[in-house]
Amino acid sequence: MTKKRKISLTEEELVQALGNREKIAIEALYDMYSSSLMGVISRIVIDTATAEDVLQETFIKIWNSFQSYSSEKGRLFTWMVNIARNMAIDKIRSKDFKNQNKNQELENNVTFIDEQVNTVYKPELMGIKELVEKLKPEQKVILDLVYFKGYTHVEAAEELGMPLGTVKTRLRMAIMQLRKYFN
Amino acid sequence: MENFKAYIETGILELYVLGDISQAEKLQVEEMAEKYPEIKAELAEIERSLEAYALQNAVQPPDHLRERVLNSLVTNFANDNNFPTKGRTHDDNEDVRDNVITFTGRSNNFYKYAFAASMLALIASLFGIYSLNNQLQQSQETIASLRIKNTSFANQVNYIENEVTVLRDPEAKVLKLQGLPKAPGAQLTIAWMPKKKKVMINLEDMKLAANDKDHQYQLWAIVDGKPVNLGVFDAAKADTAGMKEMKPVSNAVMFAVTLEKHGGVPSPTMSEMVVAAKI
Repeated sequence: MTKKRKISLTEEELVQALGNREKIAIEALYDMYSSSLMGVISRIVIDTATAEDVLQETFIKIWNSFQSYSSEKGRLFTWMVNIARNMAIDKIRSKDFKNQNKNQELENNVTFIDEQVNTVYKPELMGIKELVEKLKPEQKVILDLVYFKGYTHVEAAEELGMPLGTVKTRLRMAIMQLRKYFN
Repeated sequence: MENFKAYIETGILELYVLGDISQAEKLQVEEMAEKYPEIKAELAEIERSLEAYALQNAVQPPDHLRERVLNSLVTNFANDNNFPTKGRTHDDNEDVRDNVITFTGRSNNFYKYAFAASMLALIASLFGIYSLNNQLQQSQETIASLRIKNTSFANQVNYIENEVTVLRDPEAKVLKLQGLPKAPGAQLTIAWMPKKKKVMINLEDMKLAANDKDHQYQLWAIVDGKPVNLGVFDAAKADTAGMKEMKPVSNAVMFAVTLEKHGGVPSPTMSEMVVAAKI
């Protein structure tokens, strides 16, 4: 019946459409960002069904609190990924979740998760091996802990038994590498 | 001048983008970004690279989740009428005509088809019941008409049997009672078997004026100079044609019919005599 067509808008168009609360914005928002946000959520919330719930709650929150987003202060995705990360962390720290005994030990690292989930490789990002080579393991670990697992840099320093300054530096170096690679 | 470079070096911009920063620091970064375009550009680059990194590590949610999420967002549409549709220009107005989105999926279609199928089945069975009912009614009508025919055949057989009995009987006397001045055209045929004392009247060729509800014809036999009541009968209608057996009599010298009040009377009213015949 209805063919599933992915809708893609420029970020500017999308932000405007969301501001006007146009129906097309909902679909575009999901099609453009659901997998990126799921990438973050599913690394924090390991249980698939719960992760899907969190993704849904994240989109509802994005939709309902969109007026608090300002394009002056940053990109749409930056705003959304912070919402997604916070909601995922709230979920695993919630009483319900702990009672369900689905909580994952912090030792579950990103590598483990990557084995569990289907990572989407976009054709335009085929040079992933090159990136991995550029991103030194000690940089990647810290970046992934903070970006994907929702650790604060203070928590990451404790987890890795490193001085705070080292963590901050490596984090910055990691992002510098990303910038070189992507920009 | 070189103020912002040192600020960038601290790595606070990365933490800002990662959301790992206090509210006070956050406001400070935003203030700095407003002041120094270089900081703003730096932030934009960090954001862009992290967004690309997230995309590279994207996890495709299952297909069914799309519909679920979209539907939950549609539910959160407050009021259709309140949505401005002027914000953007569309070449085709399709997109902005209404704000109601229906996300039709397979499950919806399943119920649609299931409903259609059951409606069809219902209509078919109603039609079946209707036509069966018709057939049943027809059968009942047929049975009723067959019963009527059966009765009439039975009557006919009965009549013919009587007739045959009468005709075969050698002693049977067939008398034609002729009309009297009271009713000149009247006529009645009777068969009389004196030994068997049997008297029958033939309703078939009877020619008597139709009697009303209050009156009936009464047959008399004259025995030893006195009238003897042989019973009453009605002027025959076509469908009751046949023979009717009357009361028995053995040694009559004359038969006569009078029109009497309904049920008959003990002795005949002579003035109402319509037909008669002597042996």
